[in-house]
Amino acid sequence: MNRFPILKIVLTHLTSRKRQTIVSMLGVTFGITVFIFQAGVITGLQDFFIEKTINSTAHIHIYQDKNQKSPPVLLDVYDADKTWISVPNIKSKEELPKLKRGLQIVEILESYPEVTGVSPSLSTQAILKLGVADISGIINGVNVRKENRLFDLEQDMVSGSIIRLETVNNGIILGSGLAESLGAILNDNITVVSPGGVALQMKVVGILDTGLRDLDNNRAYSSIRNTQKLMNVTGSYITDIKIKLENVERSGTLAREFQSRFGYTAEDWKEANEGIFSVFRIQNIVTYLVIISILLVSGFGIFNILSMMIYEKMNDIAILKSIGYTDVDIRNVFLLEALIIGFIGGLIGLLIGFVFSWITSIIPTNIEGFVSSEYLNINFDPAFYLLALVFGLVATGIAGYLPAKKASKIDPINIIRSQ
Amino acid sequence: MKKVIEAKHLNKYFYKPVEFHVLKDIDLSIYSGEFAAIVGPSGSGKSTLLYALSSLDREYEGEVLFNDVELKTLTNQKLAYLRNRSIGFIFQFHYLLADFTALDNVMLPGLKLGELPPEELKEKAMQKLDLLGIADQAMKKVNRLSGGQQQRVSIARALINEPRIIFCDEPTGNLDSKNAMVVFDMLKNLTREYDQTILMVTHDDSFSSKTDRQIQLLDGKIIDRETP
Repeated sequence: MNRFPILKIVLTHLTSRKRQTIVSMLGVTFGITVFIFQAGVITGLQDFFIEKTINSTAHIHIYQDKNQKSPPVLLDVYDADKTWISVPNIKSKEELPKLKRGLQIVEILESYPEVTGVSPSLSTQAILKLGVADISGIINGVNVRKENRLFDLEQDMVSGSIIRLETVNNGIILGSGLAESLGAILNDNITVVSPGGVALQMKVVGILDTGLRDLDNNRAYSSIRNTQKLMNVTGSYITDIKIKLENVERSGTLAREFQSRFGYTAEDWKEANEGIFSVFRIQNIVTYLVIISILLVSGFGIFNILSMMIYEKMNDIAILKSIGYTDVDIRNVFLLEALIIGFIGGLIGLLIGFVFSWITSIIPTNIEGFVSSEYLNINFDPAFYLLALVFGLVATGIAGYLPAKKASKIDPINIIRSQ
Repeated sequence: MKKVIEAKHLNKYFYKPVEFHVLKDIDLSIYSGEFAAIVGPSGSGKSTLLYALSSLDREYEGEVLFNDVELKTLTNQKLAYLRNRSIGFIFQFHYLLADFTALDNVMLPGLKLGELPPEELKEKAMQKLDLLGIADQAMKKVNRLSGGQQQRVSIARALINEPRIIFCDEPTGNLDSKNAMVVFDMLKNLTREYDQTILMVTHDDSFSSKTDRQIQLLDGKIIDRETP
């Protein structure tokens, strides 16, 4: 069958009622624009955050969980089923969070083919002093070469260099927020005091800005040896092992394996950032709800306009049927009109959405939140654009089908007789 | 002569607002090449009979055979093809697609039929418009044409697929007397020059008397019939 007559009718309908056509296209355009823009901004932010998080947290973190309190000894004596035991204010046991055989574990981990980097470390709270300023922070004692392999510290350095941590005796690298609060600049000498009362003179050999505010405001890096000195412990004392994997998706599986093998808590990065991911999930639900409701509204718009158009075109439908057009032809005319409106409106929406996103991505925003970034990171994933167009077409297709079906059922005799 | 349409014991009822027996046991045949007119006072069922014979209204009792095929047995699909291929309609109100040009309107049934490539079809449509003396109006939108011109466009459209029969429902009813005369003469000319079969409903005796055959309808019955 020749498709051309239908196309001719469709195009004439669409072009002869330009305002109606444009209004219904605008509905779709608006929906798709919001879809692209919102999805781009939200997932862009999420991707940015995940990337930063993956880069600055280990894929797997092995440590001893200090907060595990031993059950009260009274339970050994009394049967808990028969006796109420209440022991208020249980204190943690005086036990250091040391990883025993820590350095051997590091060696074992390094022999795993899936592991691309292992960095042993220890950390302690400390007071950092410069002149009258004193700020509390966390000192991470690291092997800076290994740590760099995991977290690419070098790239985030704003001044100084990481290698000086090895070459300068008593060197320290400060997070940017920490340095600012202290008023410290490169090569300043600061005093670091540990909770155990050990004080060390240290020299600022670098300043680090990761973009994750929490870290930048608290964290400082030093060598393992210096940190052990601060903590007044022996040379084999480490508290944490951070692991980077070749395939980040395997982190959960391997974390469980390491936990059972070494007997220490092994936490993968998703678990460590669980709170953020649940926020993301809620964000995504809200985003999709907004998009769906906008498409629903534009769908209703199309439904209304087509229903009105069919009412206006009753005569045309009766004529077309009396000169030999079939029910299916009539249905296709109106369905095609809806789909063309959806397709063109959708394409324009994609374009406007893209332009909006692009403009937003080049305007400096200087966001200061739990991540700081000079520009908004926007996701330009083509999959979104495809999804948006498909969404738009499905919505307009459904919205167009119902009136189109109704139009195809019109019996010309009723129209002709009523004249 | 070959029968184009034959009605046997055709009965038609209206149920709303009250039951009404419109067509009463009609037996009628229309032969190829005939120029026939259904005449009668208003309310006698002229148009209703035309709609039943022309496949527009299939809610009747009895039989209507088009080329020996009972219309009720056709699927919607086949019915559409029949209307497209073998039937032309001309109504009182011109029933053209207002947003299209005269030429497009004439071409529409041909496009649906799809037997001719668009270029040839366009040429043929121009010939039909020329035949009716409105070739110069071809590219105008139909709502810019006068009533008489519009009716000629719809005649051209009815002719485009060279149908077996053309049904006209008061084709001159909405025209002034001069235009009515022009349109009627054109229809008559088609039957004379091109042997076109035409069945026409009219209440105007001055026109019906010039046809080959008058089918007199009164209260749903054929009362007087001249056989050709």
